[in-house]
Amino acid sequence: MSSSIGEKCTNIKQEYDACFNSWYSEKFLKGDATPQCDDLFFKYKECLMKTLEEKKLDTLLADARKDNPFPKNSSSSSSDSTKKE
Amino acid sequence: MKFFEATHHFNHSWAQVTAANWMKYPNERCPHVIAVDVLDRHVDPETGILHTERLLTCNQNAPALVLKFLGGSTLSYVRETSELDPKTRKLTMKTQNLTMCNVLKINETVTYSPNPQNELSTVFKQEAKITAGSALSRFSSYIEDFCLTRFRDNAAVGRAGFELVLEKLKEARIEATTQLENAATAATTQLEHAATAATTAAASAAVAATL
Repeated sequence: MSSSIGEKCTNIKQEYDACFNSWYSEKFLKGDATPQCDDLFFKYKECLMKTLEEKKLDTLLADARKDNPFPKNSSSSSSDSTKKE
Repeated sequence: MKFFEATHHFNHSWAQVTAANWMKYPNERCPHVIAVDVLDRHVDPETGILHTERLLTCNQNAPALVLKFLGGSTLSYVRETSELDPKTRKLTMKTQNLTMCNVLKINETVTYSPNPQNELSTVFKQEAKITAGSALSRFSSYIEDFCLTRFRDNAAVGRAGFELVLEKLKEARIEATTQLENAATAATTQLEHAATAATTAAASAAVAATL
C-alpha cells in the first residue's frame, strides 16, 4: 500500500486504504453505497491537512481546483470549484 | 500544444481493474511515485457516482541540469480527480501537474470501461494534452516534442506497472480461493469423521441398551 506525503499519516492512511478497498469490492460494486470508512477517513484527513499546510501545498491545490476538470457535471466533486476560464 | 492518445486492453474484468486502480502504487515499475493521498472522496447520493480527489507525490526524473535551470524542487505533485459510475461501469480519471505549470502543463484523461465483446477484458483509453508555458515560448515546440516522447515512454512503463499489480492481485485471489477450498474440504472431512463416530457411538449405545 502506498505511503502518505506526511510520514506520520502513513499508518492511518493505510488503515483507511484497507477499509476502502474492501468496501469498494464487497459493498460498493455490489450496489451498497453506505459509507463504512468515514471515521478512519476523518482521522487520516486531519493528519493530511496539517501536512499539506506545513508544506504549503494547500494553496497550490486551491489554485488547481479553479480549473475544474469536470465542468459539465457541476456536482460538488471539489468543495470550492469555482470556474475561472 | 501536442496530443497523445493510446488504447490498451487489460485481460481482467472491469471490477478487478478498477479495484486494482486504487492499489496501483507502489509498484516496482513506477518507483518515482512516492506517495498517494486521498484529499476527498464521496458518493453522490443522486447519481451514485464515486468522486475521488487524490494527490500524487513524485520524485522528479528530469535531468539535474534542467531542474537547476528551472529552479524546481526534486519533488513534483500531480492532482487527480476521478468519477466512477458503477451503473454505466465507467471510470474517468483526470490528472494535472501542480508544479512547474508555468513551464509545462500536462493534462491527462484516462477511462476504463468493460470491453463490450468480452466481460473479462477492460478497455483503457488515454489522452494527454501537453502545452509548453509562455515562459519558454521560443522553445515551446521543442519542449513539447521532448515531453511527448517522454510521456509516451512513461505511459508504456505505467501500463506495464499496472499489469504487474493486476497479476499480483489475481494470484492473491487464486490463493485465497484455494485456501478457502482447502478449509472447506478439511471441515467436511472432520464433519464426516464426527458423523461416523456419532453413528458408531449411537449403535454401541443401542446395543448396550438391548443387553
